[in-house]
Amino acid sequence: MATEVKLPRLGQGMESGTIVKWLKAEGEAVQKGEPLYELDTDKVTQEVEAEATGVLLRIAVNEGEVPVGETIAFIGNEGEDAPASAEKPAEAPKREPEREAGRAAAAEVAREQPAPSSATTNGRIKASPLARRIARERGIELASLRGTGPDGRIVAEDVERAQVDASSAPPAAAPVRTGGEVESRPLSNVRKTIARRLTEAWTVPAFQLTVDVDMTRTQELVQKQRELNPDVRITVTDVLTKVCAQALIRHRDMNVQFTGDALLAFPNANVGIAVAAPQGLVVPVVKNAEQLTIAQIAQVRGDLVGRARDNKLKADDLEGGTFTISNLGMYDVDVFTAVLNPPQASILAVGQTRDMVVPRDGDVLVLPIMTMTITCDHRAVDGATGAEFLHTIKAFLQDPGLAL
Amino acid sequence: MPELTYREAVRDALATAMRDDDDVFIMGEDIAEMGGSMGVTQGMLAEFGPERVRNTPISEMALAGTAIGAAMQGMRPVAEIMYEDFMTLAAEQVVNQAAKVRYMSGGQITVPVVFRTQGGAGWSPGAQHAQQLEAWFVHIPGLKVVFASTPEDVRGLLWSSIYDDNPVVFFEHRTLYPIKGNVPPKNAAGQIEPIPIGVARVHREGEDVTVIATGRLVHESLKAAEEAEQRGVSVEVVDPRTLQPLDEETLVNSVKKTNRAVIAHEAVTRMGFGAEVTSVLQYQAFDWLDAPIERVGAKFAPLPFAPVMEQFVVPHAEDVLQAILRTVGKNGN
Amino acid sequence: MAKVEEKRGTLGKGELKDVLREMLLIRRFEEKVEERFRAGELPGFLHVAIGQEACAVGVCRALEDGDVISSTHRAHAHTLAKGTHPNELMAELYGKTEGCSHGYGGSMHLYDVQHGNMGANAVIGGGLPHVTGAALAFQMRGEPRVAVAFFGDGATNIGTFHEALNLAQLWTVPAVFVLEDNKWAESTPEKQHSPIRDLSERAKAFGMKAVKADGQDVEAVFKTTRQALEHARSGKGPVFVHLDTVRFSGHYIGDPQVYRRKDEAKELRATRDPIEILRGRIGVTDDELGELDTEVIEIVDASVDFAKNGTDPAPEDALKNIYA
Repeated sequence: MATEVKLPRLGQGMESGTIVKWLKAEGEAVQKGEPLYELDTDKVTQEVEAEATGVLLRIAVNEGEVPVGETIAFIGNEGEDAPASAEKPAEAPKREPEREAGRAAAAEVAREQPAPSSATTNGRIKASPLARRIARERGIELASLRGTGPDGRIVAEDVERAQVDASSAPPAAAPVRTGGEVESRPLSNVRKTIARRLTEAWTVPAFQLTVDVDMTRTQELVQKQRELNPDVRITVTDVLTKVCAQALIRHRDMNVQFTGDALLAFPNANVGIAVAAPQGLVVPVVKNAEQLTIAQIAQVRGDLVGRARDNKLKADDLEGGTFTISNLGMYDVDVFTAVLNPPQASILAVGQTRDMVVPRDGDVLVLPIMTMTITCDHRAVDGATGAEFLHTIKAFLQDPGLAL
Repeated sequence: MPELTYREAVRDALATAMRDDDDVFIMGEDIAEMGGSMGVTQGMLAEFGPERVRNTPISEMALAGTAIGAAMQGMRPVAEIMYEDFMTLAAEQVVNQAAKVRYMSGGQITVPVVFRTQGGAGWSPGAQHAQQLEAWFVHIPGLKVVFASTPEDVRGLLWSSIYDDNPVVFFEHRTLYPIKGNVPPKNAAGQIEPIPIGVARVHREGEDVTVIATGRLVHESLKAAEEAEQRGVSVEVVDPRTLQPLDEETLVNSVKKTNRAVIAHEAVTRMGFGAEVTSVLQYQAFDWLDAPIERVGAKFAPLPFAPVMEQFVVPHAEDVLQAILRTVGKNGN
Repeated sequence: MAKVEEKRGTLGKGELKDVLREMLLIRRFEEKVEERFRAGELPGFLHVAIGQEACAVGVCRALEDGDVISSTHRAHAHTLAKGTHPNELMAELYGKTEGCSHGYGGSMHLYDVQHGNMGANAVIGGGLPHVTGAALAFQMRGEPRVAVAFFGDGATNIGTFHEALNLAQLWTVPAVFVLEDNKWAESTPEKQHSPIRDLSERAKAFGMKAVKADGQDVEAVFKTTRQALEHARSGKGPVFVHLDTVRFSGHYIGDPQVYRRKDEAKELRATRDPIEILRGRIGVTDDELGELDTEVIEIVDASVDFAKNGTDPAPEDALKNIYA
């Protein structure tokens, strides 16, 4: 069997060499230890000796740069056949996998290193030196700000944003110094995305439908749920989410998306909840809401909203929604219209529940009334479909047992 | 409580260990009859004899290396390198050998050796007899580095260093040798209460600024703290005592309390030990800092000979005071 | 590798074949190391001691239990001769946890405390003061042990050499300093690195007893070392043992030796091979040598298998063993 002559590693760190000249010809006899070829390495040109005795059957590489380990010739017995090409391709430097493993382990350690934690600050406000400076310069009270940096640290951006909100801030905030130059504030990525998507949504032909809902039974339900589940903060939004999910399953034609040449109908109700996070509007999704209890929905929602406010949502949290609920009731808004959340077919805008005077059966009652408005993509949904859906939601809210 | 000078405290640790343990012996240049160039080992030749109090020729590599070889065989030698500047000569053995033998042997060997040395400016010793080189040695994995500033600390820490199984570079400061201080009495067996390696000491509590100081600068910082107090600034003074391993927890907690830090050492400021401490504080107490961290040290020059120039280069209490005032946002007058 | 127990001055006839086998094992081990390095399997850089087997075996056979050695960057022969199993040495060269230094040291940092090997050193002369120190410890404790240093002609120029020998002689410690004088300091011939021709003069300059032997004659090496150890052990002071030897290969594996006359190594192999010299003297036939060769080659091959099947350290092990 012919011996493969491979380019040897002749020094630390040597990865290749350049064959300059063969000192033996094909067919010539070779003794072990005799100089076989001349090799140029980084450091020097040297003769390399043969490591076997026999006949030089074939020279596979005549000249040029060759990686260490590659077969360059064959030595064997007279008349033996030399393989047409090397049986095995040149292998990678032998200890490289271990070096890789060492580097990978180091990279993992680097990734896992937590940022220094300032878990307890004993009442001290966490703010970066830059944030403090900006706050100082603009006369903004740090205590009035919400931090979006690591561990809730107030960073420069938070102070910048506060400046924008300062004009509409409640009187409790410190007086903002007015006067100065016009400032140009570059758009954050979140803001750019919001702008792009809503512009897109605005071009969709849409219609809106509005109803008032008597929230008496729903309020009772929320109370009961809170008593049954003291560890979870259950809100009207949670009941609303469950109710909408059930309604979407009953009205499959509403649980769709318009794609241009088809309507995508979804088997589950993935209800998105619009959240006003410090970085901008985000819509995390409660997946398979129709399968969850109200308490479970409250838990999922609580986690999502918390992470939204800390800017810790992952892409997965924001994807897959089939419907969106936007609730501005906590801002004292009675009625509003929401812009579609593309590519979803509809979005429900919900205002606050307030006592209103309502005529009923000839009597005048004071009832807790909530006004909700649905916006629908007319390419996917017709008026009647939307109206029926909205009616179902109203019915479920006014008589929750119907949703079972 | 008994009172000892810093010099006597070092001697006490050495002698007590040698009485206690046959494996402990000392070697160095001129340590026998002369009792050492700084008088630290006076009287020890008479008590222990030339076998255990060994003068060596002027050959720092053999001095350090022989101590290492004996330590590898289980003895606990304490080698005296006469001047900190000569640690540069011993460095091959300290850095390439002592620090690494345990590691390179895969844990087979321990090297329980102590290299004692002294440095520091004052009285114009000149550029080659006054350096403070702790920054070089805290940078070497495998070494422990200790720098005590009071008689109590130097005695307790030298004792711990002798009995630590790792190579320890033990710095003393020449201007501290004559200072007096109380030391705890020895126990019933005549042994010294060890001070653990790696634990800092708070000399003075305060609310407004933390001063982290080593060696001579501990005392300068205490003076500066008194002065600052007069001006309404409450200063906490902390001595790390061990430079490697560093008691980060104590230092960081102090700065979290005061929100301001000054690091003071006699060594050249630039690229010094203080730079590392600054980085540690910045990283772990980022949200607690109300002012940039100040460093006080020698200016970037070899130590000049003429007294007027020498005193210009090295740091004093006044430098620490000014740094303190800068951190609280007051200019000194 | 049998340790010599009785105190006598020369190698007995029965032992000589065993000595031959031991030198042959070292020879084949080093050749295998060269081969595996060229195949790209061994990290770092290595220095083989082909041609210097008689120095390692002759000296180490003369030692008693409890005697210790320190070695150089060219440490494989010393390490094997002092009792480390080829498996553990090969495993160390492959960087495995089964290696004698558990993967932490490699070729130039071979330690085996159990066998009295206080370490190979990558710094020229780095281990010499440790030998003075170890001998000092033996003296102070009254132990009948000797510390032995191996080093080359290049090392006789460095500071630690002078300081360590000076101090050893001054304090009359039980040390033996073995100079393996192969006339080359890497690529520099002795004539270019030393102004004097007889390096023993350097030891004599410290007042140290100096003896010479032919480093290719294992019996002579053994006898001379026994005498030196006797001198040191009896408290008369350290001894400088000057062995005249030959480095057949380059300084490191892959060294093209552009600085050396091409035929020099060939001539030296023909006339000064310690294995051939002993073999001729005790009359070992080709067949007998072949048998020994087969035996040792099997051991060497097995050590490569052992090493290749060994355990890689975990990456995080890098942070262990820094402090005691």
